[in-house]
Amino acid sequence: MSDLSPVVFIVDDDSSVRRSLERLVKSVGLTAKSFASAKEFLQYGHGKETGCLVLDVRMPEISGLELQEKMTKAGILLPIIFISGHGTVPMSVRAMKAGALDFLQKPFDEQDLLEAVYRALDRCRQAREEHQEMETLRARVRSLTPKEYEVFTWVITGMPNKNIADRLATAEKTVKVHRASIMKKMGAQSVAELVRMAEKAGIHPLPAK
Amino acid sequence: VSTLGELTSSLAHEINQPLAAILSNAQAAQRFLSQDKPDMKEVAEILGDIVRDDNRAAEVIRKIRSLLKKEETRYETLSLNDVIDEILNVIRNDTALTAVSIEKEFDPSLPSVWGDRIQLQQVILNLVLNAAEAMKEEGTDVRRLNVRTSKQDGRFAKVSIRDVGPGIDESTASRLFEPFYTTKAGGMGMGLAISKDIVKSHKGEIRVENNTDRGTTFSFTVPFDSGVRP
Repeated sequence: MSDLSPVVFIVDDDSSVRRSLERLVKSVGLTAKSFASAKEFLQYGHGKETGCLVLDVRMPEISGLELQEKMTKAGILLPIIFISGHGTVPMSVRAMKAGALDFLQKPFDEQDLLEAVYRALDRCRQAREEHQEMETLRARVRSLTPKEYEVFTWVITGMPNKNIADRLATAEKTVKVHRASIMKKMGAQSVAELVRMAEKAGIHPLPAK
Repeated sequence: VSTLGELTSSLAHEINQPLAAILSNAQAAQRFLSQDKPDMKEVAEILGDIVRDDNRAAEVIRKIRSLLKKEETRYETLSLNDVIDEILNVIRNDTALTAVSIEKEFDPSLPSVWGDRIQLQQVILNLVLNAAEAMKEEGTDVRRLNVRTSKQDGRFAKVSIRDVGPGIDESTASRLFEPFYTTKAGGMGMGLAISKDIVKSHKGEIRVENNTDRGTTFSFTVPFDSGVRP
């Protein structure tokens, strides 16, 4: 999978903290991109890049926790590492419940931050890969003809060709041809694999009439 | 002083910010220096930032200390409007001011006064935090705080801090400025006493009155800078 340079986004209203974090990220050869406010961050065109967000909790106007909510709504799925000058337990609980990956108290050791960043990038990469896999799977399903799709929904119930042929009032041989084509288009080696694919793509067997 | 407890979180934040920047900068510099061809320009910039952040942390501590104890006073010519703006900026993110909207109504032609910046800010801080707390107790949905400056009798600058809280019981009004007198559960009863002391040493006056509609207004005066030094 192409993953040339993951980006570590930084949002903190304190220019000093921002600059120091940028340098720390740069010092391990990663790319950093920082913003002075949640608003600036949201205005940036977020693509499908692999990355993570190092986010300050306490900021004027839009706080870190509010930005977390807005990102979820906007579909920006970057893993978040919160940093806080004076965090409280309820605050970190709220952040973690909403899906934050880590919550670090300032001042933090580089080791803690960098470990969190690597973990977040891994998580993001994984999520992107899963997303990619899903896209491929969907494309394969879309490549089936309507007839094949119908046969597909029966095959994944484990029904033998003969019964499927009866159901569809067609020849067993025809079903056999469809089945072979389905296996080929889906890139599946076995019915078991086909079933797993169907599950993943959210395709349920037709209810027996 | 009761208000200090409420400020602890703000102060911890103010100190942890530069500390975090210093640590990250120093550790980044260590990494840069261990590279084959270290970018010395970058390292120099880092050291500059570290010095600045260290001074910044020291400044925060200096401010706390001057809040904690009365150090020697430092009188100077001050724009009261600027003095207020500065302290409001410092506390604007304080949790005590959550959901409070502060409305400023400054007289732009207010002459400068002769006073101690830190002490006057302590008075303003006390009054603002008291007002915010009063409105919290009331559970007022609109927590509006008005901070106003004006001229009085051609000789004084007046600062009025108006809230929309429950107002003050007439019978306690006269005792409010006594040391150790408090109406708050966790209060020390020092805030207003110290404020009165400070205003008095500035040759001004502090007072409180209930508004005709709702809430209370605390106000204090400070003489204009006449150029005559005591």
